[in-house]
Amino acid sequence: MDFWSLMWADFKAIVTDKAIAITLFGGVLFYSVLYPLPYLHEVPTKQQIVVVDGDHSSLSRQLIRHADASPKLAVVGELANISQAETWVASGKAHGYLVIPEGFRRDLIRQRGVTLAYGGDANYFLIYSAVVEGLMSVGIDAGRYVQFNGLLARGSSAKQVKHDLEPIKLNSVPAFNPSLGYTPYVVPGVLLLVLHQTLLIGAGILGAGQWGREGYWQRASTMQLIFARVSVFSIIYSLFTCFYVGFCNYWYGVSVQGILSQVVLFLVPFILCTAVAGVAFSCLFTRRDLPTQVLLLISMPILFVSGFIWPLELIPAALIWLAQAVPAVPAIQGMLQLNQMGASWVGVVGFWWHLWALALVYLLLAYLGVRYRLNR
Amino acid sequence: MKQLIKRELIALWHDPWQLALVSYIPLVGIFGLWWLFSAGLPRQLPVAIVDQDQSQISRMLVRQLQANSVISPIHYQDINQAKDSMERAKTYALVVLPFQLNRDLLTGHQPTIDIRYNSQYLLVGKLLSSQIQLSLADGLRHKALLKQLAAGVPMAQAEVNLNLVKTQVSALYNANSNYVVFLLPPILLALGQLLAMLVFANSLNRELRLNTLQEWFSLGTRRVLWAKILVYTPLIVLQGRLILTLLYQYLGLPLAGTFGQLLLAQIVMLLAVWLLVLTIFFLLQDPARVISFCTALFAPAFPFMGITFPTQEMPQLAQWWRVLMPSSHYIDTHVGVVSYGQGFAVFAQQVTSYAGFLVLIPVIVLLARRVKQANMSQAGGQPSTEAP
Repeated sequence: MDFWSLMWADFKAIVTDKAIAITLFGGVLFYSVLYPLPYLHEVPTKQQIVVVDGDHSSLSRQLIRHADASPKLAVVGELANISQAETWVASGKAHGYLVIPEGFRRDLIRQRGVTLAYGGDANYFLIYSAVVEGLMSVGIDAGRYVQFNGLLARGSSAKQVKHDLEPIKLNSVPAFNPSLGYTPYVVPGVLLLVLHQTLLIGAGILGAGQWGREGYWQRASTMQLIFARVSVFSIIYSLFTCFYVGFCNYWYGVSVQGILSQVVLFLVPFILCTAVAGVAFSCLFTRRDLPTQVLLLISMPILFVSGFIWPLELIPAALIWLAQAVPAVPAIQGMLQLNQMGASWVGVVGFWWHLWALALVYLLLAYLGVRYRLNR
Repeated sequence: MKQLIKRELIALWHDPWQLALVSYIPLVGIFGLWWLFSAGLPRQLPVAIVDQDQSQISRMLVRQLQANSVISPIHYQDINQAKDSMERAKTYALVVLPFQLNRDLLTGHQPTIDIRYNSQYLLVGKLLSSQIQLSLADGLRHKALLKQLAAGVPMAQAEVNLNLVKTQVSALYNANSNYVVFLLPPILLALGQLLAMLVFANSLNRELRLNTLQEWFSLGTRRVLWAKILVYTPLIVLQGRLILTLLYQYLGLPLAGTFGQLLLAQIVMLLAVWLLVLTIFFLLQDPARVISFCTALFAPAFPFMGITFPTQEMPQLAQWWRVLMPSSHYIDTHVGVVSYGQGFAVFAQQVTSYAGFLVLIPVIVLLARRVKQANMSQAGGQPSTEAP
């Protein structure tokens, strides 16, 4: 059997096998919609808070109006005391509260310190940070407003007052993901993981269904079979990768900073390495329903250990070492740095070589595995 | 019934993978994920510092940053090196203390300290941004206090002047913003749901693989199904109990309610999972495809729970998909019990949200009947004594 007809036979086996075709073509399309779906609105806005106003003054009302005007907050009610506010939070009617103490305005005007109390439901960190950030900026502005007017009244010039209130400007700007959006944060990493997992599953099911049975795969040498299979999966996944890295990143508004040729160059060993790993992985199974199960269970750990959700500095070293064997881990780290964070090629070349080295290791394993499976 | 349960147990015993799924895989999974997040509170995250001023005040500000447990300052002489380290995720934020910072302050100009933080790693970036600003503002306040004192303002008044509006922030239900409290329950729940789905699907698939559907139908479709439910529900709830033990007893995370309600909620969730798996099983009737389809359905359960990204902010379509996931119903109860200490009345109300899953029962009956008929005509139309 020559190489081309072997590739063609493999291709036909992939496309005509419903379980594989659903995973590959269906899965890749389905997940490109489903994973980004919850995050399409990017940032939480208009979180409901309640206010406990003990002051009922012009300034406290102004503070409430400012809170309501903040894009992060929406004031949904005014309550008599904190315990009521906590009941509202516990019942989910509000996610945070603001307490304005009695004598708020009077104390501020008399230059005596006041304390504003904020609370937020920390079961949901994103909501909590939105509530606290919103309230913080409102509170700081209220204090500034009073100080500003007080100093002006005492005869300082407007320019001088501004300077006195803020001697140094802190200019804090997000880099790489300027909108702080959730889609650009999650999508690039997760989509690479989807590619990795579906490829391994597809190759796994294909192999598991063939070992120990009669068919075209037995009429080829071990190396020929491996190379044919890797080539077929690589070609199919090159198209999928183009769709994900090219189209989906653009469609979901992910910030892309990489140079096209470098991104392509980086992805070549990723696809090859994953395809070889897939062939090696398939030798572990003879039941077609098992590869999916194994990969499903390790999906979440792979995602977390690749370091963009939970920082690598805090992950135990043993887990990081273990993760180096998974092609998706260096690929996600390298791609985020190259394509999203604009690192130079020199910066990510370590990951690139890592992927090539993994490809070699998996090639050896695939050779041993396939030889074992074909000779049985 | 005893016989049927014994049949399930024997099947379980003879399937090494299935046995692994109910024994050591959950153990490894639960402890592995906990280990991954065991640090709990982010600390000592590398931050690049470029001190172009090298003055007393710039060094004081760096010491302020150093004193913050979240920040671990790393000095760079050259801004390009610092930028490079950020692009390679060696550091997660960059602080530039500009040239003549001290002089500008003394001569009444308004210098700017530039902070850049990595928002591609959103969690780390946002945390560092707020912590860096807090630390720097604190250092600057100290400087301003000295200035006021020098101008003859009494100490008590000077402190008030600087801090006219104080704030007191309470993170309700998770006082120190611990990530173990925040992330681990939903992650372990997602894992538990996957394991439950796989175990039940495997148990059904086994009948297909070993061609024992015929036997199943002759033993009574419903009775065998009950046996499966009776065997696997307690096994999975045991895993759930293990998770609760780890989180709320071993780690001692705060728990306002009681375990009873949580375990009851887990049983209800599992019944919903069983219904979904049964529907897919009777619809597809092929082991690999049943698993693939269930995987596609259950794999993305975690982002849809609404813990990391709030439910109300999801588009309508995502909210509909969320309702399909039994875990999203359970997580509401979990948060309610753990944080708010909710009563049984609220729980009863939450259980009604599962009502939609009941629609699956007639569908399953119909599909099962079809499978049974197909199976009997295949086997030569042997009549069965049991109704489906």
